[in-house]
Amino acid sequence: MTETITPSSVETQLEISLLKIGIPPRPVILDRIDAEMRKDEPDFNQLASVIAADVALSASLISITNSPYFGFRGRVSSPREALMMLGLNVASKAIAGIVMRKAFPKSPQLERFWDASARIARLSGWLAQRVTRGTLRADDAYTFGLFRDCGIPILLARFPGYFDILTEANHETSRGFTAVEETTLPTHHAAVGYMLAQSWWLPDETILSIRHHHDAEILGTPSIPPTLNSRYLIAVSQLAEYLLQQHTGLSFTQEWGKLGPACLRLLNLNEEDIAQILTEAAPILEAED
Amino acid sequence: MPITLNQSMQPPPVEPLPGFINRKDCFAEISQLATRSTPYRPLAVIWIALDRFKQVNESFGHRGGDAVIAQLSQRLRNRTGTRGTWCRMAGDEFVCLASAYDSGQIQQLATDLLREIEIPLPIGGLLLHPSASLGIAILEENERPSLCLQRADQAMNTSKRAGGGRIVTSGSEPMPGRLGILLARHELELESKLHLALNHGGLNLHYQPCVNTDGHIISVEALMRCPAHHISPGEFIPIAEKTGLITRLGEWSLLEGARFAKYLSLAGLRTVVSINVSRAQFVTPNFSQTLHAALLCADVDPELIELELTESLFMDNSKLVQVNLRAALDTGVKIAIDDFGTGYSCLATLKDITASKLKLDRAFVVALPQDRRAFAVVKAIAQLGEDLGMRVVAEGVENRQQLDALHEAGVQAIQGYFYARPMPEEELMAWLENRRKQHD
Repeated sequence: MTETITPSSVETQLEISLLKIGIPPRPVILDRIDAEMRKDEPDFNQLASVIAADVALSASLISITNSPYFGFRGRVSSPREALMMLGLNVASKAIAGIVMRKAFPKSPQLERFWDASARIARLSGWLAQRVTRGTLRADDAYTFGLFRDCGIPILLARFPGYFDILTEANHETSRGFTAVEETTLPTHHAAVGYMLAQSWWLPDETILSIRHHHDAEILGTPSIPPTLNSRYLIAVSQLAEYLLQQHTGLSFTQEWGKLGPACLRLLNLNEEDIAQILTEAAPILEAED
Repeated sequence: MPITLNQSMQPPPVEPLPGFINRKDCFAEISQLATRSTPYRPLAVIWIALDRFKQVNESFGHRGGDAVIAQLSQRLRNRTGTRGTWCRMAGDEFVCLASAYDSGQIQQLATDLLREIEIPLPIGGLLLHPSASLGIAILEENERPSLCLQRADQAMNTSKRAGGGRIVTSGSEPMPGRLGILLARHELELESKLHLALNHGGLNLHYQPCVNTDGHIISVEALMRCPAHHISPGEFIPIAEKTGLITRLGEWSLLEGARFAKYLSLAGLRTVVSINVSRAQFVTPNFSQTLHAALLCADVDPELIELELTESLFMDNSKLVQVNLRAALDTGVKIAIDDFGTGYSCLATLKDITASKLKLDRAFVVALPQDRRAFAVVKAIAQLGEDLGMRVVAEGVENRQQLDALHEAGVQAIQGYFYARPMPEEELMAWLENRRKQHD
């Protein structure tokens, strides 16, 4: 190992850990929120001032709190109000989603990937309210949409050939997506994403849904675990991705052909419903942020 | 006093609920479903009684109570879909007959149903926090279906007596009496703390060094701690094993331990990190993918990771265990046999095991130096390990006398409070740095 530092230089160590260690560590702000949540009387002012110190984070948190896709439709104008409106539990999920993209190194190759994830997340939040009649919380569906494929950027960074594997998996019409990845790799993006979500302490259902989001068997035969809510999360995000493809006319993946029928059964929808939902979803699909 | 079930008993009249059959039809339905029960998909009865429902009726009147029942019954039905037959047995009691689940899935279903009930609902300007007592009975071979129903009812009553808000499976009821109730409560409290810790990052790893006789540090063992909720590993590990949470905890430790190994290496303190892998975690079909994912996420040299597996796993010839052992070795990680000497060791199998370390069960160490027979066994194992090319490590070494006896027996590596206790990351790094300076 050529990269050596002295243990006394903690700052340098932290920098190196951020740059070199495979996956981004859990953001410190999430630890702060959890620490407050454990208290009998959480100090909202203290947390709000920590968030306010990061202008971009504050702006994103306010915007998400006011966003209909996250399920709250608030009219807040400060981080403190956002925390009060969302509650610490939901705020923690919202912040995790906001900082996730920033935790990865910037790359032009990834921009489109993150944009697509954000669109799927927004649409999932809206669909949770539209098709699951409140069984699934919009904020959970939104967060899941953001984190679902977070294994992909990690694998892209680690394996130079992963882009080709990804292309092949996206074109595959019969074998499972992760099965294609596993013909070349010892693991797959769902397992890697699952590990990241675990190390960020995301909720159980989100973690398990990331693990199984290409698993047709789990969607089709309602075995438990994962729980019904996990299966709803998967079905809603697959539907969101399909609607996005229908809307843009681009078929960047074949997953709906493999998972769609099971998703529709689970959500109790038919093809006609889909046409109607697609019309209603147009404004969300076109929304920029 | 548990309610005894009798078909001739006059049930109190209850309003019909959409999608729910009544008590009388329940007996007919269960007999019908029992004919299709198999050992893999047995018929299961989940008896649910809402807790403190009388208070709801008293506070909000019967109309309020009916509205609550309507909402809760709807939630329950939605949760099972067509995979459960629902019956209303009394005003606030329901039965789910399920025959499409295996017994493990039934526990999960009951947990889901309880969680469903516990979602707060608004009533009369207040937010009601409903709760329920659940009893599960699984139809046994040649059992009368009505008896199975009765067992579910009794299990539900046991749950209710223990304070409600919990699930009791017939046949595994806690010991009767006040002590049983207290123990069950304590266990439930620990379980709920563990869930909280898992959802809010309340766990961390401490590391205990394993040192050679010449003072050289061989590895550090990652040990789980739950400082946020003040529960000791001795308390939460058994609960995690019982509830299946151990796999989740193990996977988390695997990644965190691997990341710390990378961190140490970047800091110039390259040390092997040993990580415990439970049997439950090791026998999951996706163990290999998860191990690879952890190594990849941590971006660590696999040689810096050692998996500690209990000896019984090595004696298990099942295909999955063998495949996973092979897969683990193929990644390049090291393997250690944990708690050696008290399980089901078979010396004939030992010769085929590719492990780099053999950790003596602490029971041997505790017996030293007085117990000469224990000493003889330790000496034999030390020799055997050496001949097989495995490093023998004694755990739980607390004093000089034990250390001397172990050296005399030929044990070359030691782990225990005598050398160092488990330490948080920063403290361990300082300790390692200090040791290195001393030995330079």
